[in-house]
Amino acid sequence: MLINHLKIAWRSILKNKLFSFINVVGLSIGLCSALVIGAIIYFDFSFDTFHKDKDRIYRVTSLFKSGNDEFTNRGVPVPLMQTFKDGVSGVEEVAPFMSANFSKVENKSQEVILKNVNDGIFADEGYFQLFDYQWLAGNSQTALSEPAQVVLTKNTAAKYFPKKSPTDVIGSTLVYNDSINVKVSGVVADFEKNTDFKFTDFMSMSSAKMFGEKEIATSDQWNNTSSGDQLFFKVREGVDMAAIRSRLDALAKEHKNTAAWAADDERLFVLQSLPEIHFGGKSGDYPFNNSDHVASKTVLTSLSFVALFLLLLGCANFINLNSAQALTRAKEIGIRKTLGSSKKQVVRQFLGETFILTVLATLLSLLMAPFLLQQFSEFLPSGIDLSVLYSMQGILGIILLVTIVSILSGFYPAFVLSKFRPVAVLKGQFTKGDKGTRLRKTLTVFQFVVAQVFVIATMLVTKQLHFVMNKDMGIKTEAVAYVRLPWNDKSEVKKERLFSQMEKIKGLSKVSWGGNPPTSNNISSTILTYFKEENEMHQETEMLWGDITYLKTYGIPLLAGRERLNDSVKEYIVNERFAKALGFQDPAEVVGTFLKMDSTQIPVVGLMRDFNQRSLRSDIKPLALTGDWGNSNYSSFNAIHFDLGNNTDNWNETIEGVEQAWASVYPDQEIQVEFMDELVEGFYRRERSTVQLLKWATGLAILISCLGLMGLVVYTTERRVKEIGVRKVLGANLAQLNILLCKEFLILVAVAFAVAVPISWYLVQEWIESFAYKTELSWWVFLASGIGMAVIAMAVTGARTYKTANINPIESLRNE
Amino acid sequence: MLLQLNNIFKWVTTGGQRIFLLKDINLEVEEGEFISIMGPSGSGKSTLLNVIGMLDTFDEGEYNFMDESVHSLKEKHRSNLYKQYIGFVFQSYHLLDELTVKENLEMPLIYKKIKGSERKAMVADMLDRFNIVGKKDLFPAQLSGGQQQLVGVARALIASPKLILADEPTGNLNSKQGEEIMELFKQLNEEGVTIIQVTHSEKNAEYGSRIINLLDGRMV
Repeated sequence: MLINHLKIAWRSILKNKLFSFINVVGLSIGLCSALVIGAIIYFDFSFDTFHKDKDRIYRVTSLFKSGNDEFTNRGVPVPLMQTFKDGVSGVEEVAPFMSANFSKVENKSQEVILKNVNDGIFADEGYFQLFDYQWLAGNSQTALSEPAQVVLTKNTAAKYFPKKSPTDVIGSTLVYNDSINVKVSGVVADFEKNTDFKFTDFMSMSSAKMFGEKEIATSDQWNNTSSGDQLFFKVREGVDMAAIRSRLDALAKEHKNTAAWAADDERLFVLQSLPEIHFGGKSGDYPFNNSDHVASKTVLTSLSFVALFLLLLGCANFINLNSAQALTRAKEIGIRKTLGSSKKQVVRQFLGETFILTVLATLLSLLMAPFLLQQFSEFLPSGIDLSVLYSMQGILGIILLVTIVSILSGFYPAFVLSKFRPVAVLKGQFTKGDKGTRLRKTLTVFQFVVAQVFVIATMLVTKQLHFVMNKDMGIKTEAVAYVRLPWNDKSEVKKERLFSQMEKIKGLSKVSWGGNPPTSNNISSTILTYFKEENEMHQETEMLWGDITYLKTYGIPLLAGRERLNDSVKEYIVNERFAKALGFQDPAEVVGTFLKMDSTQIPVVGLMRDFNQRSLRSDIKPLALTGDWGNSNYSSFNAIHFDLGNNTDNWNETIEGVEQAWASVYPDQEIQVEFMDELVEGFYRRERSTVQLLKWATGLAILISCLGLMGLVVYTTERRVKEIGVRKVLGANLAQLNILLCKEFLILVAVAFAVAVPISWYLVQEWIESFAYKTELSWWVFLASGIGMAVIAMAVTGARTYKTANINPIESLRNE
Repeated sequence: MLLQLNNIFKWVTTGGQRIFLLKDINLEVEEGEFISIMGPSGSGKSTLLNVIGMLDTFDEGEYNFMDESVHSLKEKHRSNLYKQYIGFVFQSYHLLDELTVKENLEMPLIYKKIKGSERKAMVADMLDRFNIVGKKDLFPAQLSGGQQQLVGVARALIASPKLILADEPTGNLNSKQGEEIMELFKQLNEEGVTIIQVTHSEKNAEYGSRIINLLDGRMV
């Protein structure tokens, strides 16, 4: 019976090649996106799931509330670590650690030098108690008990000590940051499964002081939170988490910042469970300082919806075509029933057919999946691949998916077909009263709604992206770039030497000292105090540091007042927003006022035009520019900004000149020239990946929908061949016939458009809310997408209807 | 007695008016009979045949088939009943286009859940008996009309039914092919199979042992 079913299923698939093709292709596109997106989602959910007692491990993070603003920091103040080490009731194990960047690690005996090692941490034995590493050499209890001890992962050990086994490495000396001798006290195996704990050098916590880092035991810096200072702990089994939370609340209250300006601010310690860490903090920050990827649940949810809709589109195709085809299969079913087949057997047979097609589609989609994944590789985390699909779980998942899809798309057609009464079919009384029509129309409308929503969303998101990327930020972004000086080489002499060498490069029209560029992701802010009619006004202000040519280099005009007298005089230039925030009707009036920072009175000497300090998601904020006088320990000028001029031809030459100058001053350091236009583009990386994803989803949705439409058109025109013949005999011309045939489908597309417009308007509206600067949701975008869709639908239907309308009536009317 | 129809009525209602397709049909068929049903187009011949074959229902009356009262049976039982005892032959053959001759013959056996090895033997037997062994792997479209009907008859016979219902079995055939099929029926009847056929042709009707004439749904 089964073989017979499969056989006839296979033959009828071959017989209806076009329909089978449409079915398989439509379904495989849906399945392929489901598989790829499934793999992506699985990847992000597979992080750090292997730790022992992972449900009892938590991280403490900080949440700051200031007015209406909330922001998070994945770190904690260092003294909190000590509080936990001293013991908190309900806590079983504590693992504090601090991120560490080492500028240089040297193995003198084998002459191995590695620069910029950024995956280090300062940790104590608590870390290895909490996280279960496999020890290849050394003792987990004592490896980190003394200063100047380091535990390495196996891969790192192999890098530092080529060709040596883990046990040989123990006791060897490494030189960190040129002068710190450290003994290797242990080697652990790297985590093999997906993890955010990608640390390689575990320096003993007691060495922190040698590296100029904070000391846990003595620090009282409760109001200093660095994202690298991490606190993990494991609770006892069955412990009341509320008790630990209230203890943290009490600690936060006890150590509240007492400075006057912080009176309205609030800080909370928030717990994050281990599996949550991969999804970042509340403001979407990365799991750790050295992480290069943070998973976003919103993104994953949108992805799942995209996959779901593409899959449903494929299924809709299937139902549509198969129930439409029911007529041609009716005779077969009639015969089968007279030969004794029961309803159940017919259902089973058609489900079997669906199953075969689904399996075919799955095989096809597995072949296509790598190509689809490649399309997204640009904005996917590295290390993501499709191997999970071929694992035990993956195969089970695929089987489940195939079964669900088969049932979903096969059940209705099978049900319709099995209901045929043989006598009616065999008598040929069947041609009228086609009950599935409404369902098929609904499904087609559904397909086109999805496709249309994708089209509109893509157009609007692209429009917004184009808008923000091309909007005048208020500063010069073309041909302006900067180099940041090495953070671990503070020599003033070298700095000056590089600057004077760069000034000599002919191609550079302007060269300035400065801190951050005017627009960037790195913002520092401070509180400036202004006395307004005897009242103190505290204004949170973003700070920029630059010399007296900084504004010119970035093309920011002064609107009132003057430039500062020199690079290190205590004077401010503020922006218009700042003046408005202080309550000046005419911003120019701000010039001449005094601002107090800490205890110094500083005059405002100039007013600069507003510009966007960040991506256009954020609004312009009050801002002050000043010179290099703030801190005697280090210079605020840590970058050299320059203008490459208008002559694009010798840019390459000029950049080479900059590189040479750099190499002559900092031969050991690599130069990184940051171009402003690239920086601005980088703000919208996520948006660009959204556009990329949407484009693909749109393309695929249109493709599937059009396949479905084509199938439906073929079916309908075939059924109406006779009617067309009669109409032609009665004198209808080609155009009339085409309109007659197309009308029915265009109405569906129009209905879909009407449904899609409000849905897509709502969705895009939600998305665009995150921008301070929004493009208009213009009506013409909607109209254009609707017309575009209608044209595509016309093209798909037109080809077929034209052919049908052209059939000679003698042919179509001859039989019967 | 093989089957018995008592006061069978069948109607459709159009515009509030009952139009009778079958009107007060009383018929007894003994095993081994060969009955021809005749009448003009629309007189209810095919309807009557379908009612007897349990493919169609009726609105009033009683129908007993081998001491089972068909009118009170559920569909599933009815289908079991005709699956076991009745074979159909159609005017337009109604072979399954996607299956070969051999597979077409096998189909009813599959639905009767007969084992594979047994099925093979029965199919081989039938191919032999109808002299179509050489055609067993061809598809219906590759056969002439006469050959297709031959397969149709073979398929109807393969499950050894007690009754064969044939709806104008020679309607699509030329006279020579038609004659062959009728000879075949005659021979089968002599071997003990009960046959009821619907036909337009007086000549074919003569093959039967009894002729029933229908007019407007009524036996005359």
